[in-house]
Amino acid sequence: MSDLLQSAKTAVDLAKKAGAQDAWAAISRDRSVSLVYRDGKVEKVEESTSRGLGISLYVDGRYSSHSTTDLRPDRLAGFIKEAVALTRVLQPDPYRVIPDPALFKGRPTVDLERVDPSVAKLTREQREAWCAEMDAKAHSDSRVISAESNLFSGESQGAAASSNGFDGVWDGSYVGYACTATVREGEDKRPEGSAHAVGRFLTGLPEPAAIAALALQRAIDRLGSAKGPTVRTTMVVDPEAAVSLISRALSPLSAASIQQGRSYLAGKQGQKVFGDKLTITDDPLLPRGLSSRHFDGEGISAKRMPLIEAGVVRNYYVDTYYGKKLGWAPTTGSASNRVLGLGDKPLAALIADVQDGIYVTSWLGGNSDATTGDFSLGLRGHQIKGGKIGAPIGEMNVTGNLAALFAKLAVVGNDPYPFSSLRAPTLVFEDVQFSGT
Amino acid sequence: MQQTLSRRSFAAISTLGLGLPGLLGGCRGTTKAGSTTMIPGENAPLADHLGWFSVDKPTIARVMSELTARGADAADLYFQYSRDNSITMEDGIISRASSSIDQGVGLRVVVGDQTGYAFTEDLSLEAMLAAARTAAGIAHGGAAHAPVEFKQRSRPTNFYTLSQPWAEVQTVQKLPRIEHLAALARKGDPSIHKVTVSWADGEELVLIADMHGNIHTDIRPMTRLWCMLTAKKGEVTQSNSANLAGRHGFDWYTDDRLEFLAKEAVSRTMVLFDAKRPPAGEMPVVLAAGASGILLHEAIGHGMEADFNRKNTSIYASMIGKKVAPDFVTIVDDATQSGERGALNVDDEGNPVEKTVLVDHGVMASYLHDSISAKHYKVKATGSGRRESFRHSPMPRMRSTYMENGPHTREEIIASVKKGIIAETFTNGQVQIGAGDFTFYIKNGWLIEDGKITAPIKDINIIGNGPEALRNVTMVGNDCKLDFGGWTCGKDGQSVPVSQGLPTTLVSKMTVGGENV
Repeated sequence: MSDLLQSAKTAVDLAKKAGAQDAWAAISRDRSVSLVYRDGKVEKVEESTSRGLGISLYVDGRYSSHSTTDLRPDRLAGFIKEAVALTRVLQPDPYRVIPDPALFKGRPTVDLERVDPSVAKLTREQREAWCAEMDAKAHSDSRVISAESNLFSGESQGAAASSNGFDGVWDGSYVGYACTATVREGEDKRPEGSAHAVGRFLTGLPEPAAIAALALQRAIDRLGSAKGPTVRTTMVVDPEAAVSLISRALSPLSAASIQQGRSYLAGKQGQKVFGDKLTITDDPLLPRGLSSRHFDGEGISAKRMPLIEAGVVRNYYVDTYYGKKLGWAPTTGSASNRVLGLGDKPLAALIADVQDGIYVTSWLGGNSDATTGDFSLGLRGHQIKGGKIGAPIGEMNVTGNLAALFAKLAVVGNDPYPFSSLRAPTLVFEDVQFSGT
Repeated sequence: MQQTLSRRSFAAISTLGLGLPGLLGGCRGTTKAGSTTMIPGENAPLADHLGWFSVDKPTIARVMSELTARGADAADLYFQYSRDNSITMEDGIISRASSSIDQGVGLRVVVGDQTGYAFTEDLSLEAMLAAARTAAGIAHGGAAHAPVEFKQRSRPTNFYTLSQPWAEVQTVQKLPRIEHLAALARKGDPSIHKVTVSWADGEELVLIADMHGNIHTDIRPMTRLWCMLTAKKGEVTQSNSANLAGRHGFDWYTDDRLEFLAKEAVSRTMVLFDAKRPPAGEMPVVLAAGASGILLHEAIGHGMEADFNRKNTSIYASMIGKKVAPDFVTIVDDATQSGERGALNVDDEGNPVEKTVLVDHGVMASYLHDSISAKHYKVKATGSGRRESFRHSPMPRMRSTYMENGPHTREEIIASVKKGIIAETFTNGQVQIGAGDFTFYIKNGWLIEDGKITAPIKDINIIGNGPEALRNVTMVGNDCKLDFGGWTCGKDGQSVPVSQGLPTTLVSKMTVGGENV
């Protein structure tokens, strides 16, 4: 048994001894290293190994959850004892039960390829060399004032155990680079462009210099940015920007938001809410996926779950607690990887098809109301003129309702963004309200 | 109420995170053997504070010596213990509670503008020495002069004195307050369908040792009470929330405050049933007194953090001494507002705090400095070096940002607008430092037509450009107040609690998200 799993079991035992009927403990250890390089030299090096324990307690029909990084044995025992005592003064909650052990069954065994052993072996020299490559590339234009390059990586191990028979362990690695270039424009303006790549494995990532080149290009693309007109037109959303837009649209799929009356998707199961082109599956079993897993935080065995099929809402994220409140069987309480059904053209071809509209490259601020689906977002991007990417625009908003927007989803690209657990392709929406001049 | 995760975002936090620390128990708070809850009090001897972390002065000297063994212009050890508690009432039941303890030490070495950083939660000498060697890796010289003696430095004032530290307040004392607030909210309107109340309190003990032999300690309390509502009228559902937050104690939650909070949450929710989107495009925006300080935070505050200017990446990098706004505009960032989330007794580098004037009667006056930028610009640090926790190295951050009163009244400001909006409550904002483009999201507001408030509006984003928005401040009211709700500022992956305020202010033109039907 791993030392972490042993520690988790010990914590569960401490909780039982203190009077809890049930307990669930998870413990993790993470190492992270980050090197930041700016304008020809190392600016910051951070390195650490961190660990912590989380524990959920079920005491006389009452519930609480706790976490600590102070794992000295006497302090930990005192902490758990106090936590159990605290739980006793809360009110009994008939819906709160430890996850059903039946949900632990059928745990998949497929190799998720979560760990790249070469990540832990990266040397300081290698990290610095890659940052220097990015820095040189990012400075390859005389308009650049400053460039920051970052190489980050980490490895983690974890284990969880429960009083009703769950135990599980996991591990993972990640590595990525990021680059931001700032260019001068006129007297005071200093537009910037950023790019990054991240994955569980080193192989498959683009060359560091390619990321820096993209950051530089994005900064240069901002030069001369101006406010566009207030208009209703077609919106093409870049895959990278589509990630957060889709995530916003899907966040009210949780049983908690539905039970609390804070979801515009409440009561829509089996109904067509979005356009035909929208199909999204939650897939925890993708090899090397950033959110791949064999079980979720409640120990529920992982399986693929359709969320949206051709615009129809198929499943919600249902955890044990809110599932019981709603009278629904648990599915999984949290998202893993989200994969979209793809079209057959990439961004450039879709822009050519659109002829006229606005191409959104990134969002700036904004928010949405999960209860009504109303949203309003700041944006940056370009005009689309005659099927080509035109002048840069900024200082504009797009405003509407998420259900109405995705009902007008006209085309989906074939170019999913690879550096997120939500693999969004280019999206094309018709008749979208923009605010500008 | 979503938290934006992108860099330099700014969000009203919707969860209970980030609270920390608690305060002064006078002489009551010495460490009790075997207790995990009672941190040493404000006036406890330094030995008690050191003892809490199981360290002593010779240990600190030993670790500091290792940390500076390859040279250092500056170096510090940042010990932190924080304990947070939260309680939630939902569907009529006080159904869950949580607590968390976070403890560790961050070790930093600065050489010029280069930083080496490491932290450990394991406070054994062996683990701290290993972390010190890692952080020291940034340096390549001979050993710096490390202090042999460490001495505690006093500070003049306490900006967050509590009559009772949070660790002494029992959970059972909090429950009736939570139930009372929920009951007040529920009877606020017959359409109220769901009431959620979230209570959070915490305290934090910080001990900073620097390479000059100084030790600073601070005990920082924090609390927040949220009231979240869902209301139903026929087929239409609306939800909204309000919260109270600050570095206060249990007795701050008076009946009056709970009534005020319930009323705010109810009115913010019920008005949504009648609220519409304003027309889209450019128009005058009246920023209501209070939370509208988010404009300052995004439009100018971040751009005045000296690290961005030292790196030459801020739009304000060459504007010190320049006229940027009308004479009646004075903007400050102030650590000395008692009880505010942005209040500090000492910053996270051990520097004394102050009220820093960013814009003095329309002229750009000072950046916000940490030690690194102060040295670069050869000025005194402004006590703005802050960090999320011992896991992070400090950088220049805002504290309580607000505009001083101006010459106008709220009434004359509204009367001056032919067609525009009033922005009243907000969820989040963001800025692009170099381009100067900033945004903030309005949850509640009002339409102004011919100088009169005519209808409620909701859910729109505002976008503008920092220097342009400052130039376009055409009227400033005499009713400055700080927002009562809690704000958390995010920058480069670090979140810190802040405050913001504004008198009623007119910006003559910004781009308003809206719908032209």
